[in-house]
Amino acid sequence: MIILQLFINAFSLGSFYALVALGFALIFGVTHAFNLAHGEFVLLGGYLAYILVGQMHFPFLLTLPISMLAMIFVAVLLQKLLRYVNEPYELNTLVVTFGLALVLQNGMLMLFSADYRFIRSTAPIIELPKTQLVVTQTQIILILTSLLATTALYILLRRTFLGKALRATIQDREAAKLAGINVRRMSLIGFAIGGTLIGLAGPLYARTAYLYPSGGIEATLIAIIITIFAGVGRIRGILLGGWALGIAESLTVYSLGTGWRELVSSLFLISLLLLRPEGILPRRMGANG
Amino acid sequence: MRDRPHKESIMKSFYGVLSLILIIFMFLAASILLAGPATAESNPIRIGEIDPLTGKLAKHGQEIHEGILYAIEEVNSFGGIGGRKVELFSRDDQSQPEVAINQTEDLLYREKVVGLVGGYVDSLVGPISELAAKHQIPYVASASLQKGLTLGRKNPYFFRVANLDGIVQPLCGFLIQDLKPKRAAILFAATPGSTEFGQQVRSCLLDAGIEIPIFEKFRPGSPDFSAFLLKVRQSNVDVLISGGFFADHLVLVRQLKDQNIRLKAYIGPWGVAYPTFIEALGEASNGLFGMCAWNPGIQIAGTEKQSHDFVGGFTARFGKTPNTTTMHGYTSAKALIGAISRVSESGNDLSGENISRELRSLDLLLPMEHLQFDKNGDPMNYRQVVVQIEKEKMVPVYPAERKTGEVVQPSTN
Repeated sequence: MIILQLFINAFSLGSFYALVALGFALIFGVTHAFNLAHGEFVLLGGYLAYILVGQMHFPFLLTLPISMLAMIFVAVLLQKLLRYVNEPYELNTLVVTFGLALVLQNGMLMLFSADYRFIRSTAPIIELPKTQLVVTQTQIILILTSLLATTALYILLRRTFLGKALRATIQDREAAKLAGINVRRMSLIGFAIGGTLIGLAGPLYARTAYLYPSGGIEATLIAIIITIFAGVGRIRGILLGGWALGIAESLTVYSLGTGWRELVSSLFLISLLLLRPEGILPRRMGANG
Repeated sequence: MRDRPHKESIMKSFYGVLSLILIIFMFLAASILLAGPATAESNPIRIGEIDPLTGKLAKHGQEIHEGILYAIEEVNSFGGIGGRKVELFSRDDQSQPEVAINQTEDLLYREKVVGLVGGYVDSLVGPISELAAKHQIPYVASASLQKGLTLGRKNPYFFRVANLDGIVQPLCGFLIQDLKPKRAAILFAATPGSTEFGQQVRSCLLDAGIEIPIFEKFRPGSPDFSAFLLKVRQSNVDVLISGGFFADHLVLVRQLKDQNIRLKAYIGPWGVAYPTFIEALGEASNGLFGMCAWNPGIQIAGTEKQSHDFVGGFTARFGKTPNTTTMHGYTSAKALIGAISRVSESGNDLSGENISRELRSLDLLLPMEHLQFDKNGDPMNYRQVVVQIEKEKMVPVYPAERKTGEVVQPSTN
């Protein structure tokens, strides 16, 4: 039973990691913008949900669509800003978004102070009958939303014309241009979808972890690690990568101790980069989806 | 023929330069005469502060800063020291040791401060104390615990208002005399102070015959403790002692409740005994144990009025209630101000050596502690109290002479 409980917790943790990473992975895949302010965007969504729940008494689930809509707007603003960035684009976006992250951190410090904040869950724990297993509402929401977001994104990318155009942009921007795809529009759409996913992650971040103005760095690091795990542009790989990391961390903590968590995760990541540089999924399965 | 105009031109240039020097000299003399003799007002006493005002430790850094700022404003409202205003130069170390070093150098070289104050966690306080020693400038740290900073080497310029014994001794006393668990788990953060804390608590509990089946280190800021808590559940421990910080307790306590783990006591020496912690967790905070040196209503005997005035004045100034970390900042600044005042009264120079000498013989009764430093710069009378959160209020439960309520069990229900 303990092992089963460990896996429930690990999947929930992995789903949390995947949700934090999805927006970053999509924006990076489609636009090649290395958004170092990703974590700060997640925090913005989190703070918005915190205000809605804490001060305006909105139900938690209602904060998800509101945050998603708000973050589309923020992500599109970022896209407009990054249009002025010259080549080398990846490197320059990294510098610009690093500066933006600092501005946002200080802005949040002024607006929300340095206090730690989180969204309280009032839902009772669900005890599975005839077992000692427990599941929380937050864990269920995390696992379900990560599955839904990944599936929706997968269907969008694999089954729609827009998805085909987006995948073409991810694979080769120049070839996509030659094929008549409006890459700039794809970039805008990529940012908008990325913003939606960031908006989904924000409230869940505020409910699972905690918010504080400098906390975005951790969310950005999670996103970068999971994107490397998955392989750029490989959406299903994000969820699998999140779960793999969640399971690796949980098993490490359980068997070796909390002090080994970061070391084993780092070794896992390095091994994966050496053995499967293309990402956690085999190429035929994972290509852009 | 060619030499003469050349000589004339040299002479002209010489007179030109001379005239310019004379004009500048006259201008300077006039401005000095107009300004009159240097007044005490124009020559403030410069004190430097380094704190994590941004970054992951910003919450506590800001709290310490507000305590220090309040102490400086308080002394200035009474006319300063010997008629001279006290000027505070605050620097943000961004929760990073390398930035702390740069900012300290700036305060020492450029601002030429007479003393340093502030600091949170030993990884930041340690480098500052080294620089202070090198420049022979006294440094009164607000929150420092690592024994090596005072006992491991001689640093006559380093002082601190807190120490590890003031936390470990009451905690061990409470566990051994009052709570009497059979088995305890110890989780400590990978910081110098918390690591030493974990080792010392383990040692005292083992000596008392209490089993420690779990003794683990973790990185502060971890988002998940569920796997660790499964081990806690499996090992049937009565007590979980967590040497993490405010944010770590937020995650740990929530997951403890989520996993339905019942303990005789959950104890967080740092981060639990805060009004904001109770506010954040609400009812879920009831039953938890924390530790503090001071909080509104929890002060040492004989300082009730002083404590009350501090709470009133601070709340009016900052619009919020001070907490134990704020008081650490206030106490450290009061120590430095007190020593500077005594040097000033004696008519000596405000040199590092003179201020440090006065700090060593300081005797101040403050709401947090009766402040006296030993020969190593450690506080002689720093003792925290164990509090339990009951009905979302902090109730001191140990030691006997300071307790105002009884322990309610179990701690996590």
